[in-house]
Amino acid sequence: MTVKPAMPESWRLETKPHKFCPGCGHGIALRALGQAIDELGIQDRVVFGCDIGCSLLAWDFFNVDSVQTHHGRTTPVVTGIKRANPELICVAYMGDGGGYAIGAQHLVNAAGRNERITVILANNTQYAMTGGQMAPTTLPGQKTETSPYGRDPEATGHPAKGPEMVAAITGEDAYVARGTVSKLPQLRRMMVRALQNQIEGRGFSFVEVLSTCPTNWRTNAKDTWEFLEKKMPAHFRTGELKVPAAAGKDEDGKKAVH
Amino acid sequence: MEGFEPVTRELPGGTFVVFPGLCKGCGLCLEKCPKRCLDWSERLGIYGTPAIEPVDGETCNYCGLCALACPDCAIMVTKKKRGDA
Repeated sequence: MTVKPAMPESWRLETKPHKFCPGCGHGIALRALGQAIDELGIQDRVVFGCDIGCSLLAWDFFNVDSVQTHHGRTTPVVTGIKRANPELICVAYMGDGGGYAIGAQHLVNAAGRNERITVILANNTQYAMTGGQMAPTTLPGQKTETSPYGRDPEATGHPAKGPEMVAAITGEDAYVARGTVSKLPQLRRMMVRALQNQIEGRGFSFVEVLSTCPTNWRTNAKDTWEFLEKKMPAHFRTGELKVPAAAGKDEDGKKAVH
Repeated sequence: MEGFEPVTRELPGGTFVVFPGLCKGCGLCLEKCPKRCLDWSERLGIYGTPAIEPVDGETCNYCGLCALACPDCAIMVTKKKRGDA
């Protein structure tokens, strides 16, 4: 018997190994999403939209219908698909540059309207595909291409807290969480609940994923983990920020154990 | 699935499988291992960088954190059930 890699069923095998750099967190974030799609058995109903930036390299990642747009427009495109065909389960996948900077208005308005879509946003604290420039999520003091002396919060502000913002402007039935690629099982559960929230037609679902970028952070494996697990959580607290009242309960109405 | 040839290593308490055709040599698994029982291999991965292999089969406790940390699903760790030994 041939041993097969333990990949999610919804991954497209012909395109593996995927196009992301060695050590990139996108692979783990998309693995969690793939496992969630497998767990819910919704592979034939999912539409996957990816944004510009490194996240667009996921355009052939899954064996599902995929669409790629630019600069945060994934959210409105996916919203349109969802409105045209509410049977589909629409996932918008983007980076922090697309979601919080260039395309922030799309995220804000979709969240404000409480659209029944799922948005997954990978936060690696800079613009990775263009060479590591400073982004809204760059940590204070972090050196990037455009902040060679470290980010100065006096001049450029503090890191953007996306899930907190989304949780503040969405309706009651939104699901908002922040996970990290260093905790795959927790991230998978968040993805499952975010997709479940959309399937049940409750409201906007948003998961931010703290991700890694060894190429542009210029870190080795040890420093990559340290940055992800020590420095990033100091500014970005992981966990579920908003859970709909109806979610997290099983059929008997008891609180489900997660 | 050309290129995804598994390299299987039988350890005292389980099996460690690595797919050099998927391993990009990022080293995240090496640092994640709580027992520090992985090291670079002679075998090369997909980008021509060394793949990984378990050096110390005795200390591995089959927790599977290396497999969870791998962005490319290049590692599989299975623990033998009690009855199999």
